[in-house]
Amino acid sequence: MTGDTDSNGEDRERNRPSSRTDSSMSTNTNTTTGPTTDAEQEPNETETARPDDVPDRPPVLEADDVDHSYGPVSVLENVSTTVDAGAVTALIGPNGSGKTTLLRTLAGLLEPTGGSVTYRGDDAARRIGYLPQQPAFRPGFTVLETVRFYSSLVGADEPDTAAVDRLETVGLADAADRPVEALSGGMTRLVGIAQATIGDPPVVVLDEPASGLDPGMSNHVFEIAAELAAEGTAVLLSSHDLSLVDRTADAVALLDDGRIVRQGPPASMRADLEVDSLRAVYEQSVAADAGTVRVQGVTDE
Amino acid sequence: MSSHAETEAETETDGEAASSHLRTPGTTRLLGTIVGRELRTVARTHTFYLLAAAFAAVVLGITWIGGGYTAGYLPTAVDLLTPLELLVPIVAVAFGYRAILADDQRGEIEVLETYPVSPREIVLGVYAGRAAGLALAVAIPLAVAAIAIAVTGDDAVAIYATHAGADSPVLFARFLVLTVLFALVVLAVAIAISSLVSATRSALGLSVVALVALLVGFDLAIVYGLAEGLIGDATLLHSLAISPLSAYRGLVLETTVVVAAGTGPQVASPLASLAGLVAWMVGSLAVAVWGVRR
Repeated sequence: MTGDTDSNGEDRERNRPSSRTDSSMSTNTNTTTGPTTDAEQEPNETETARPDDVPDRPPVLEADDVDHSYGPVSVLENVSTTVDAGAVTALIGPNGSGKTTLLRTLAGLLEPTGGSVTYRGDDAARRIGYLPQQPAFRPGFTVLETVRFYSSLVGADEPDTAAVDRLETVGLADAADRPVEALSGGMTRLVGIAQATIGDPPVVVLDEPASGLDPGMSNHVFEIAAELAAEGTAVLLSSHDLSLVDRTADAVALLDDGRIVRQGPPASMRADLEVDSLRAVYEQSVAADAGTVRVQGVTDE
Repeated sequence: MSSHAETEAETETDGEAASSHLRTPGTTRLLGTIVGRELRTVARTHTFYLLAAAFAAVVLGITWIGGGYTAGYLPTAVDLLTPLELLVPIVAVAFGYRAILADDQRGEIEVLETYPVSPREIVLGVYAGRAAGLALAVAIPLAVAAIAIAVTGDDAVAIYATHAGADSPVLFARFLVLTVLFALVVLAVAIAISSLVSATRSALGLSVVALVALLVGFDLAIVYGLAEGLIGDATLLHSLAISPLSAYRGLVLETTVVVAAGTGPQVASPLASLAGLVAWMVGSLAVAVWGVRR
């Protein structure tokens, strides 16, 4: 698939504010001080050209030389990246590459052991919405009660209405009265997405939002992400569904072994490597053999 | 973004209009929301009903077997004191030992970190909601026992003031209030435990340790201190306040039995005991806040 000609992407682009036509994720090779990779040695070719008449808005979220370690195990090393408003930014990479750790660090849930994360968005009641990788909710409550609870926490004037609106957005209005423990895994994830968007946070972080969903539901989830971005929200998500990422994301960061080895718009990444899909980009950029999980400090460099 | 990230407030406020309809709610509203959810959780959890029913059966059974219904308020309080010293901590721990842990295991505490809710509000809300359920579970059986005494007692008690040598429902009311207070103190300890552990098995293990310490350990420590001369006779009454159990027992004896008896040596310092219980409650909740923040 070639994302450049994807009609959905074009439609989304037309619907977005003009300030969003700039690159949604800039490559920060000059600020990455970690071990050098082939990808990093390349010139900054992935940066998209910015039209002269478009104001250069600062990124909503910026990670600068972020390290994170769990005790002696280093999971992130010198990660620098940015997340822009009104864009879907996707984080891809093999299992164990540090995607969830990076997402949680960017969401402010983990303190980096090195470097810094800076939020430059609006001073909203809730700045960052977050969908965990395995969302779960307190049993004994209906879907509506659960979403209403979270709506109340951000000061919604009418939590019931706000909750119903969220459920309609994710397509779960018909399940409003169902107990959360009676939901399928996919439906629970949709409730999680509804939860993550409550309060209209300027940044929404979704950790594998399409994991375990059927193809139709996965499409729906990515459509929701695109719609959020079209409304000006900075959406940062991780996924293993590379075709959906290719089709939806404005920018992609490829994480391998705790380092960002490649980042930029999908089209630029494909063009750089002269391949026709994000999967091919992934396969050429990731060091691990297929079917092997690289374990930092154990797997040979 | 939460405290981990720096914040650079934008001088341009393009997005303010969009988000201005949502203002960070005040502490009272946040607490109300969290307390409401806890109350609903307690009301919808069958285990709590079973616990409350078992507790009620024991309280009413002891009252019945001990002849309390006919003997009066004070004999019933004396009959119940020792069993409640054991039962109340167990019920309180059961109400609270997973209160925060369960949310943490589901990842909800982490999600709540992305909302304008502080760890203090989370702990106080959870505690208040569970405390309301526990207070009802403890108070209702005792109140039923008191009503039964009033209805079936041999001698109708018409004295509602406290006098030396006179039985009175006021004495039993004090016993009830102090028992609820004791339960709430142990609940705070259980909430602290639930915020410190990351697995149910750890929570159970630590709860057992806490129960042993509360029921036996601190009393033994006081006895040891007395035997070794670390605690003098003059400070013994105040030292009892160190142990929540001794503080509760001392308060009950001082405010009910000794008052009714009208004579006898002082068995505890009510003020110190009350301060001890409050310190345990506040200290445990502070630990819980630290645990959630951690």
